[in-house]
Amino acid sequence: MKAQNWMWTIGGLAAAALLFEAVPAVAHHSSAPFYDATRKVEAQGPITKFLFRNPHSFLYLEANDDKGQKVEWQVELGAAAPLTRTGWTPETLKPGTIIKVVGQPSRAEGSHGICCARLTRPDGSPIVPGGRVEEETPTPR
Amino acid sequence: MADFTAWLEGTGIATWTRESGSIWAYPTILTLHTIGLGIVVGASAVLDLTLLGYAPRLPLPSLRPLFRVIWWSFALNALTGVVLFMADATVKSHQIVFYVKLTLIALALWNTALVRRAVFGGPNVEPASASTVTSGGRRLAAVSLVLWAAAITAGRLMAYL
Repeated sequence: MKAQNWMWTIGGLAAAALLFEAVPAVAHHSSAPFYDATRKVEAQGPITKFLFRNPHSFLYLEANDDKGQKVEWQVELGAAAPLTRTGWTPETLKPGTIIKVVGQPSRAEGSHGICCARLTRPDGSPIVPGGRVEEETPTPR
Repeated sequence: MADFTAWLEGTGIATWTRESGSIWAYPTILTLHTIGLGIVVGASAVLDLTLLGYAPRLPLPSLRPLFRVIWWSFALNALTGVVLFMADATVKSHQIVFYVKLTLIALALWNTALVRRAVFGGPNVEPASASTVTSGGRRLAAVSLVLWAAAITAGRLMAYL
């Protein structure tokens, strides 16, 4: 190849590499850019909404924030398909049910998001009678 | 616009894709979209790298059928892409990076058409061998690699921005 062709090829690859360099972590981690795995938060209160959907389900509940203010928390869950396999349906989490959520807080300032959470009734028992209690891990996006 | 995207989201196919717990809903459609992406960009990369001289013993005329492979795989991705957009239309229609992705794909496809015309001539013209591809043809090939890489990056960022 002539020198000029090498120049174009290397220039093109360098530009592509730069584009990828701008987003180093996202290729391997779905939750790390959004949630802080080194911290834990807890929220307890009535469910306001349960969105059973792909690629991520969301649960909303009304609970106190760290300043004692009532806010709506958003809990990110897995996709509808894996939730279905564990026996959940869109009716599993009914509005009004008191639920306890312990998980990783959202990194965004002033937001009230939780991911990778353990969901139980206030006494620590499973949501679904006879169900398991374990940390919900959202599938990679 | 808001009415239209809300209507799209409420259609049967969009609701099923978004809310079904079936492995045949969202997971399958997204997988087909990824396979189509692999073939479109994979076949394009073979063409581009050959034009850039990385496979000097590959006769260029034998690569002509790849254009048909690219168009059919793109058709699969346009179809699955429309369904994936419908399932989340009210959100995706507000994502700037989504429009960036569409623009990059349009540019990449346009560029592919230019490569076909510049290097492979018309449908009945025998293309030159890779060693005689003009610098203009090679430039198009390099641009193609960059555009597809950028389009994939924009698509991936839709989940994060």
